[in-house]
Amino acid sequence: MFDLEKEIRKWKKSLQKYEVFEDGLVADIELHLRDTYNARRQAGLTEDDAFRQAVDQVGTAESIAAEYNKNRLVMLNRRSPLRPGRFMPALVWNYIKTALRAIRRQKGYSLINISGLAIGLTVCMLIVLWVADEWSFDRFNTNAGRIYRVYRNESATQKNSTSVLTPPPMAAALKKDFPEIVKATRFGYWRKQLVTYKDKSFNETRFMHADPDFFDMFSFPLIKGDSETVFLNPYSVVLTEKTAAKYFGEEDPVGKMLTVNNSFDIIVTGVIHNESLNSSLEFDLLSPFEILLKESIGEDNRDNWGFNSFGTYVMLEQSASSENLNQKLKGYLTKYAEEDTDELALQPLTDIHLFSNLGHDLRNRGDIKYFWIFSALAVFVLLIACVNFMNLTTARSANRAREVGLRKVVGAGRPQLIRQFFGESILMALFALVSALFLLEFLLPLFNNLSGKQLTSAWRNNPTLLLGFISLSLLTGISSGIYPALFLSSFKPVRVLKGTMRTSGANPLFRKVLVIFQFSLSVFLIIGTLIISRQLSYMKNIDLGFNREHIIYLSIHSELHDKYGSIRERFLQNPDVLHVTASMTLPTDIQGSPGTPTWEGRPPEAKMEIKADFVDYDYIETFKIPLVEGRSFSRKYSTDPETAFIVNEEAVRRMGLEKPAVGRRFGFWNIDGQIIGVMKDAHFQTLHQKIEPLVFKMFPGWLRRMYVKIRSNNVSATLASLEKTWEEMNLGYPFEYRFLDEEFHNLYNSEARLGKIFQSFTALAVFIACLGLFGLVSFIAEQRTKEIGIRKVLGSSTAGIVALLNQEFLKCIAAANLIAWPIAYFAMQVWLQKFAYRADIEIWIFLLSAALGLAVALLTVSLQTLRAARANPVDSLKHE
Amino acid sequence: MISKTLMAASTRPIILAILSRGEDYGYSIIQKVKDISGGHLQWTDGMLYPVLQRMEMDGLVTSKWKLSGESRPRRYYTITEKGRKELASELVSWRNVWQALVRLTKPIPAED
Repeated sequence: MFDLEKEIRKWKKSLQKYEVFEDGLVADIELHLRDTYNARRQAGLTEDDAFRQAVDQVGTAESIAAEYNKNRLVMLNRRSPLRPGRFMPALVWNYIKTALRAIRRQKGYSLINISGLAIGLTVCMLIVLWVADEWSFDRFNTNAGRIYRVYRNESATQKNSTSVLTPPPMAAALKKDFPEIVKATRFGYWRKQLVTYKDKSFNETRFMHADPDFFDMFSFPLIKGDSETVFLNPYSVVLTEKTAAKYFGEEDPVGKMLTVNNSFDIIVTGVIHNESLNSSLEFDLLSPFEILLKESIGEDNRDNWGFNSFGTYVMLEQSASSENLNQKLKGYLTKYAEEDTDELALQPLTDIHLFSNLGHDLRNRGDIKYFWIFSALAVFVLLIACVNFMNLTTARSANRAREVGLRKVVGAGRPQLIRQFFGESILMALFALVSALFLLEFLLPLFNNLSGKQLTSAWRNNPTLLLGFISLSLLTGISSGIYPALFLSSFKPVRVLKGTMRTSGANPLFRKVLVIFQFSLSVFLIIGTLIISRQLSYMKNIDLGFNREHIIYLSIHSELHDKYGSIRERFLQNPDVLHVTASMTLPTDIQGSPGTPTWEGRPPEAKMEIKADFVDYDYIETFKIPLVEGRSFSRKYSTDPETAFIVNEEAVRRMGLEKPAVGRRFGFWNIDGQIIGVMKDAHFQTLHQKIEPLVFKMFPGWLRRMYVKIRSNNVSATLASLEKTWEEMNLGYPFEYRFLDEEFHNLYNSEARLGKIFQSFTALAVFIACLGLFGLVSFIAEQRTKEIGIRKVLGSSTAGIVALLNQEFLKCIAAANLIAWPIAYFAMQVWLQKFAYRADIEIWIFLLSAALGLAVALLTVSLQTLRAARANPVDSLKHE
Repeated sequence: MISKTLMAASTRPIILAILSRGEDYGYSIIQKVKDISGGHLQWTDGMLYPVLQRMEMDGLVTSKWKLSGESRPRRYYTITEKGRKELASELVSWRNVWQALVRLTKPIPAED
């Protein structure tokens, strides 16, 4: 009996012998067979015959399979090889686990890596905070982009000379003459003012004056008072919070009266918040400019275009361009002051702090150079840490080789492995970031101490900074991971798994290059530190050519000026007081005086810039300035206060006077007189500047500072007795004095700061570099354990082995020195250019830094090599 | 009897031509070839399927399983745009070959 289904099953089995027949294909053909069978049956064939014919018609399984096979081959050739996905989320957990395992298994190395990176990151973050702080100056003003300072370009009279000091009528005149100037204010200071409230009185050095527009231009928030009305009354004052607290404590200051210089009263109309604001305009008290005109400089100076003593700030219309206005300002001054050939120019408010280099500028300024130096230092330290990471990771790469081989065998492509290792370095960097954030908190006060800043933990609330820190650590992770990732992912699985790979890890030459790079940076920093500190001590110890020790100075302003004579008498009665004298400006601060003096035999076209100060009797004696010719100012000569001049040697040289210069005619400020003495050249100015011509003249009306030279023993008792004398005289002003040598030290504050920061960063950099070296050496010593064992068995001494292991590194350090020396030489040469008087760069500095570098490296290396060399060879050779 | 090589060369254009009239399935295609050629084109039926598979790989046709009133699904083939282009160019080639043959086998006119 014919069973169709059975026959078809049998036929299908014959097809299924060929694996190429997939179920779908079989179904296709089966249907065809059935169709043919049905057709044959309809044509009248028996079941048996119909089936046989249908099978024939369909063809042999073998030939059909052959055709399908051809197709399959074509398909296989066409298909691109298996590609793992770009990112396999399923593997992430595995990556993390592997990374954590790698970190855990090599605790020492991970500690070195993470702590190095953490220190590097911390230093970078400190610098970022510092830079952000410097950058933020004046930018809190919402109108910062529209505010400009007007300055004078005095190049017409003196080469490259500029000044930010402008006359009182200028602000109003500019506002009137240029429609694009919508607001303008003067900002200035006249002199220290004695401010009294009840029994409290203080000499205020930051008592500034401005116009009502000030509050519309600048965004100092008034916490008390209304910006529209605070300056309505010319005799008003706005205090900062701190000042308000100083005078009034908890009381509400608004409406209270303060007395100025015991002569007039001002009413407090507002309190300003300026604590956290970085402003180049600094003040403790701010009053209308009108008070200055009325009480200090005189109403007649209201329109005096020659009275260049104050700052002028303007705010432009939103759409106005400062360049256009700069053009229009050409020749503007001649409109009001015919002989004034100076040009006016605008300086953006936001440039004042970092980019300004104008004459008579505000004190509280930064320096873009330090901005670059600090940033470079931070990058150096971070680079050294990154190099550690690269070196240690590649050195220990042998440990990971099997893993790489296996991953490759099971289908990981190079991109996957690169991503995996990047992931690991980024993970390390993130660990480092966490520790760095803690370190940052801890180091911030120290850094403030170094940099003279008041940085706070406010960064925690600043999303931009936080994001910046995170990106910084990501960047660190990527840059330190780039070489290890490329290197590790390049392993050939066959070689790795067969075990024919060298186990020394990365190319040792490259590793050496990295070590050389690290130590070049370190040596460079050591040389920099040495040269800076040498220049600093040179400046501190150089013979300035006069004596500044044990001299205190007091300001004699306002009424005190009139009492100078009697104070002097009283002070001199004290046996411990050696001299008392006075002058207009501090010796550190003597300024150039406009115009050219006249002298005997002066060629008509000859010009000479000269610095000048007005002094009192005994000035030369107090400062022990040696005279090379002539005499000092003396009471014996009645003409001295009128016509006597004392100049320095440089002035004599410039004037071309032949010896003796004493007795020659000399005139200045329309005073015709003669030279009575020639002083030896002395460094009154900072050592950045060359000694310039200098002239002293007596001028009792202009004395503003009093100097008291006291005996060197028992200074505090002398000062106490002077204070007592001062109180007895009932002068109405507090006894406020300072030491003059402090003032001289302050001239080099920024250099001293640079020196300290350089020192600390160098220490950190060297520390991190040594950390890396330590890791590297311990790795190499570990690898060569057997070799060391065999050498010892064969009779090598411990010293011999230490020498063997050390020499490789010592060569690197030597090479690093050779690279660092020329670079350091040129870089420091550039820095020293700032000083007219400088300590020479001497060879011993380089030798010393080389010795220091070597010593530190040797110590680090030997710690490990000694241990390896001392090990008992039995232990190292016993087990395999 | 049509030679094996010619059969092999003509299979794809013929299938394309049939499918260009509408979607179709294997058995039906074979029947149409037989009917239209008057039995001159005799294929081994089973060989059609690897050819269709290959044509699908080449993107000339697409296939879809369909239930059309019967209990078992059939695989229906549809010509693609690429297939139509292929068919057009095949037709040009075949016509060129045919024309050449016709011209060459014309009786040579007597030269006067």
